[in-house]
Amino acid sequence: MLRYAKLYWHFVIQRFKILMEYRLNFFIGSISTVLFQGASLVALWAVLRQVPSIQGWTFEQILLIYGLLTLSKGINHLFADNLWVVGRDYIRPGQFDRFLVRPINPLFHLLADRICHDAIGDFIVGLSLVSYAMVQLHLPVNLASIGFIILMVISGGVIFIALNLITAATSFWIMDSIAVTNVVFHTNEFAQYPLTFYHRSIGVLLTWLVPYGFASYYPASYLLGHAIGWMAWLAPLVALVCITIAYRVWVLGLRNYGSTGS
Amino acid sequence: MDKLYYRLRIYRSMVSINIKEVLAYNFWFWSQIGAHVLLTIAYISFWKALYSERDSIAGLDMQQTLTYIILARIVMPLVQWGYTQEFGYWIREGTISSELLRPVDFQERIYIGHLTRTFISLVQQLVVVGSLALFVFKISLPTDPLVWLSFLISLLLGCSILFCFDWIFGCIAFYSTEVWGLQVVRGSILLLFSGVLLPLTMLPTELQTIAKWLPFAQSVSVPVSILSGMTPLSNLGSIWLQQLAWLGVMFMLSRLMFNFSVRKITVQGG
Repeated sequence: MLRYAKLYWHFVIQRFKILMEYRLNFFIGSISTVLFQGASLVALWAVLRQVPSIQGWTFEQILLIYGLLTLSKGINHLFADNLWVVGRDYIRPGQFDRFLVRPINPLFHLLADRICHDAIGDFIVGLSLVSYAMVQLHLPVNLASIGFIILMVISGGVIFIALNLITAATSFWIMDSIAVTNVVFHTNEFAQYPLTFYHRSIGVLLTWLVPYGFASYYPASYLLGHAIGWMAWLAPLVALVCITIAYRVWVLGLRNYGSTGS
Repeated sequence: MDKLYYRLRIYRSMVSINIKEVLAYNFWFWSQIGAHVLLTIAYISFWKALYSERDSIAGLDMQQTLTYIILARIVMPLVQWGYTQEFGYWIREGTISSELLRPVDFQERIYIGHLTRTFISLVQQLVVVGSLALFVFKISLPTDPLVWLSFLISLLLGCSILFCFDWIFGCIAFYSTEVWGLQVVRGSILLLFSGVLLPLTMLPTELQTIAKWLPFAQSVSVPVSILSGMTPLSNLGSIWLQQLAWLGVMFMLSRLMFNFSVRKITVQGG
């Protein structure tokens, strides 16, 4: 474990050296997410300033959901962005074999190979939204609520990583998985609004099949004092189950892996 | 016998590689469409929830807004990215030098190619998102062929305006040699001010003014408003005149800008 932590640190340093060679790109990458989400948020504000609430949800409450989701997304973006391109950049060109001959876990190597700094933008947006919403809604800011948010954001991040890991593992069979990841990942957009806005089936889907709801809607509901019972505390368990399944699928794929031979 | 078996095994793996390649492109195509459809469902649900407690927002009723939104979702993939990426690629790879030597006008050629891709994309989106609108959300699209024709003319003008704007924008790549940042800025401004996310009349007045002075609305908000019935057909004359004026100015600027900046060209590693 300690060895892996040390190794990870080395990878981070190397990555940082590369990034500092291209400072402009570093800066643009970090603010790109801020710009895009900023545009969507201004549009959301423009609509919601004309109405007091949507089905009981105010602008600030929706921002809380959006902010929590963005933070979870940021964790995935920072630590596991390489899962998107495992097929295109590693398996197809034969680069993946490099990982197999080294004495560390190939998955660890893959993730550590590219830490994605663009996630800084996600954290800026997410943190600002959550703190703005907490203050505006007069929600208690104390150890308990902050601890709850951290726990939920980490669980949400793990759920994101787990789903991407499952879809990434399909590249062991179909060589390039971006298309699969793309579709599954985008279901998270449903979770940026309250799940009650949708047809019941979408709510069930976002809770039990692609459980992004645990990264946004459920923790936000708990913070707002809605009666959702034990669902508020289910996220860590869901995350654990997801990541276990995902890792099994990954290992299964790895066993099926035959090099491209190039 | 062994040799034959060996060859067959080689053929088999070659066939399987080719199948995988074809599937990869097809997968990507359907995956893009799938993601777009998912987002459309989420977005339409949001607007439906918004209208569930009230009859009108900013003077628009639910049917008008939903028609507008779904049509904007059809046009969005046509304008979202532009081709600044290609500009950057040509410059970085140095292929721009041979592109410039060909006997057909450079801009004209890129324009035709761009228009073709836009049209194909429009047909695809109409089929996929259009049927989603009709069968899932029961949103009625206009049936009058005259409205569709007016929409197409306005969209053609709008896309040409945007093409010239992107051309000017792409010329910045001659100086910056970095296009990703340009794309991001263009993309996020377009998202807010073109009307792909909401009818522009819902924006506060100051933002509406900005939108009016940017070219993006010409390619989304203007044609989509015609098709969704928000703009009466009697206004068409003045709308087309305005679009033509935009096009004239943008076209001249794009020619000037290109002739000026092409002298600055530094082909990297070419």
